[in-house]
Amino acid sequence: MKVHVDMSICLLHGQCVIAAPEVFSFDDDGGLVWLAEVDESLAADVEAASDACPEQAIVIG
Amino acid sequence: MTQQEILSTDALPYLDIADADFSIRSQAVLDARDAAWCARTPYGLAVLRYDDVQKMLRHPKLRQGSYRWPAHSGVTGGAFARWWEQMLLSQEGSEHARLRRMANPAFSPKLISSLIPKFQALANRLIDGFAEKGECDFIAEFTEPYATGVICDLLGLPFEKWRELADIAGDMGLALAVSYKRDQATVDAATERLFAYAEELVALRRAEPSEDFIGMLVRANADTDQLSDQELLDMIVLAIFGGIDTTRNQLGLAMAMFIEHPEQWALLAEQPDLARPAVEEVMRVRPTVTWVTREATETFTYNGTEIPQGTTVHLFSQSAASDPAVFETTDFDITAKRKPHFGFGGGTHHCLGHFIARGDMTEALKLLAQRLKNPRFNGEVLWLPDSGNTGATAMPIAFDAA
Ligand code: HEM
Ligand code: SF4
Repeated sequence: MKVHVDMSICLLHGQCVIAAPEVFSFDDDGGLVWLAEVDESLAADVEAASDACPEQAIVIG
Repeated sequence: MTQQEILSTDALPYLDIADADFSIRSQAVLDARDAAWCARTPYGLAVLRYDDVQKMLRHPKLRQGSYRWPAHSGVTGGAFARWWEQMLLSQEGSEHARLRRMANPAFSPKLISSLIPKFQALANRLIDGFAEKGECDFIAEFTEPYATGVICDLLGLPFEKWRELADIAGDMGLALAVSYKRDQATVDAATERLFAYAEELVALRRAEPSEDFIGMLVRANADTDQLSDQELLDMIVLAIFGGIDTTRNQLGLAMAMFIEHPEQWALLAEQPDLARPAVEEVMRVRPTVTWVTREATETFTYNGTEIPQGTTVHLFSQSAASDPAVFETTDFDITAKRKPHFGFGGGTHHCLGHFIARGDMTEALKLLAQRLKNPRFNGEVLWLPDSGNTGATAMPIAFDAA
């Protein structure tokens, strides 16, 4: 599945990093990085992250 | 440099946030925000500008700052202190992440949307109770039963339980005042009653599994490696305690803003879809949580200022959300497109109940604007101090029933 974060609305709360640490993380400068293409085995985590995002910035494709 | 030394440097403005007359909306705060990115206060620093509040909400050297409140108040032990020190808001790092991950499904937007019709029914029922009179105490007759009724809906309790829950939360809330130690017996008795409630609810869902709020938490707990029995109860108690006063106060502040801006109320009545942006605009200009508290876990330098380990840092959501560096216009306008406010905090502790709060306040404002025309103050409004967690405790209003 494809994962995208709309960085124009993301506020870097990091709730996605909590919900799906295998997919989302912060780099050393505090920027958000994520896997654009993830295995279906992580689908539930990605959906949990998308639900938990306070800004609803995560798009699953 | 120690916390004492930084707090005595004259280079930074000073705000006496401990003074009962201090107002978070005073000219002094605006002047301080113009002069510097932060101000000194009797306990720690106050961060005043939008960009700095946003950065510090997720600063790795800052942790949530209220966990030591019982100890600060001279209280050790007792049901409230035990819970307070162990619940989600007081946890950091991997412990916080684990608890939050377990709780997330119970607070998901999907679950909340099924509650919307209940919120509408609740709002209408309360408005029915006073509409014909043409007046009410907006706090006693609307925001308090509404905020508590929403929690009853969430927990699957009948609305009739609201008074009891509100009283318990009120007694527990005494713990957050300077008189906590004096009131400790009352606080702990109320906390124990709330835990007994939570245990009953859990027993019911274990007997009969369901997909609702408690059901989702009970499911997370079924695998006790993930969420222990105690943590399950702690989370339910936090949702009840954290959801009542905040929502009550925020809706009262909303009404006050609209009474001062009648044209905006008329606009909302005409265009109910503005209720959702109206919630955001109210929380930008008049948040009930006017600041969140953090504590430096180690000494670090920010904007050229050394912040010693242990320093308390207040992030002023209120002054950040009217910062002219970010907001071109700051007048109350429910149609304006704005950058996000910090009324629900931010970072890892961003309010877990915000989908619920946003949903229930949207429905309430929508129906209130339809049914209460031309609302106005109708007697003395009693206010909490205009700082910390603020709001009205009594708000007599009059209106023309639609
Ligand atoms: C208008 C209503 C509300 C406001 C203004 C509000 C505000 C806040 C704020 C500012 C925080 C962050 C505190 C900090 O960072 O120090 C917070 C956290 C929290 N809120 Fe809310 N809240 C509201 C409603 C609710 C409701 C209805 C619930 C539950 C049903 C809730 C549950 C929580 C929880 C569990 C946390 C802790 C999150 C964590 O530490 O990870 N809140 N809230
Ligand atoms: S939870 Fe949402 S807002 Fe926060 S960092 Fe992730 S994508 Fe950005």
